[in-house]
Formats: sequence, C-alpha cells, structure tokens
Amino acid sequence: MQDNITKLFKAIADPTRRDIFHALVIATSALSITQISNQFDMTRQGVTKHIKILNDAGLVQMEEQGRNRFCYADPKPLKEVNKWMQFYSQFWDDSLDNLGDFLNDKNL
Amino acid sequence: MSKTITKEKVFNHSIDQIWNAITKAEEISTWFIQADFKAEVGYNYTFTSEPNEKGCTTISGTVKEANPYRLVYTWIVADTKVETTVTWTLEDLGNSTKLHLEHSGIENYAGETALAMFDSFDGGWNNCINGLTDYLKEEVNAR
Repeated sequence: MQDNITKLFKAIADPTRRDIFHALVIATSALSITQISNQFDMTRQGVTKHIKILNDAGLVQMEEQGRNRFCYADPKPLKEVNKWMQFYSQFWDDSLDNLGDFLNDKNL
Repeated sequence: MSKTITKEKVFNHSIDQIWNAITKAEEISTWFIQADFKAEVGYNYTFTSEPNEKGCTTISGTVKEANPYRLVYTWIVADTKVETTVTWTLEDLGNSTKLHLEHSGIENYAGETALAMFDSFDGGWNNCINGLTDYLKEEVNAR
C-alpha cells in the first residue's frame, strides 16, 4: 500500500506528467504515443518514459492495436479514499512535526 | 472502515503556548500555512499556501467551535468542494500538553472526480506546503 501511494505521488509530482494525464482524461478516445508526443512537442522516448511511470502508478492503461500502443487514463487510483487517508495522515504528521519545531524554537 | 484520521502528540510546552500556536493567525502562518484566521465561532477562515508560478492552493472553512482548549473548523481544499472537519483538542498533563487532532469526513472524497482532485494537487500541495514538499522530494529522490 505504501509502495502504491509512493508511486502515485511520484507520478503526479511532475507537472508534465500531470499535463499528460490531464490530456488523457479529457480525450474522448485513447491516444497513441505519437499523438501524445505531437500534442506536447516531446520525443516519443520522452513520452514513453512518462507514460511508463503513470502506468506503474496505475493511472494510465495501455492497449496494443497492431503496431501501435494506445494509452487511456484510469483515474481509479485517485478516487480511492484510502489514498486520501494516507495523504492526510502524512500531511498531519509532518505538520505536527513542524509545530513541535516551532514551539521549540520559540522557547530559545 | 474508519475514515477519520487521529493523531496524538505530547509537547513539552504549556497548554496556552499550544493553544496560541493553533489559534493565532500569526503563529499558524509561521509553522503551518499562511492564515487569515480568528478563533471565533462563525469566522470564515482562509489558509493560503505560498504562491508559486502555478498559483496556490487555498483551504477554507468555518470555525465551528473555539473554546479553550477545543478548536473545530471545516476544511475545504480549493477545487474539491468536499467538506471535511478538523478538530484540535488540548489536554493539560502538568509539565506537558497532549494534542489530539482529528480529521473526519475524508470518506466524502469518494464521490470526487479525478479531475477535481488533480486540480487540488496542481500547483498546490506538492509545490506549496512545506512538509509535504519535503516528503515528496524525499520519496521521489529515493526511487
């Protein structure tokens, strides 16, 4: 579980990947690597690298059609409430650590 | 399954020091998030993460309870429209103070679309909020 959310955060921490994922979410059909690279003015290799990371996170699924690979968005991992639980759990842990540091600094 | 996050932490500080840290805008802004906040029931507060090129995430809500030493407010992340509730309770242990934090209503995120969730991340959490930014950096670099 921890590993999954790490992958998810890694996938969405990068603005380009967020944009690619966004484009796939709003696309009416699956897009090929070539279509994505044209749209983002990126090399096929660059797109493939990003797609692989999104795919590892479960956010993008791929379908082979002949010689082409088509990608489509799968937002399910983002919808899982447990991800939000983990997200906020980490958020509050970090925030309370900050609070502790703040209180200690103030005492000096 | 419980969709409430509960955290407890004991601080070696007086209950009033901690109460000030969680209720005074100036102090909240120092350790947490830039805050327009008043510990008054009905006050509509705003937390704004530090600006960057992509804009900022805003968290807003209404103070529901603000009696020492219990503070309750709703918590809505900018584009999500999902209302959750954050409750802070302090307990005096003599030489230290126990802080009890509860964040409830997280199951309300279930009906959210991925796009709205993404907007809340976009230029928001991972760019603006210090603690999380560090967390993400560490996680990303570790891979």
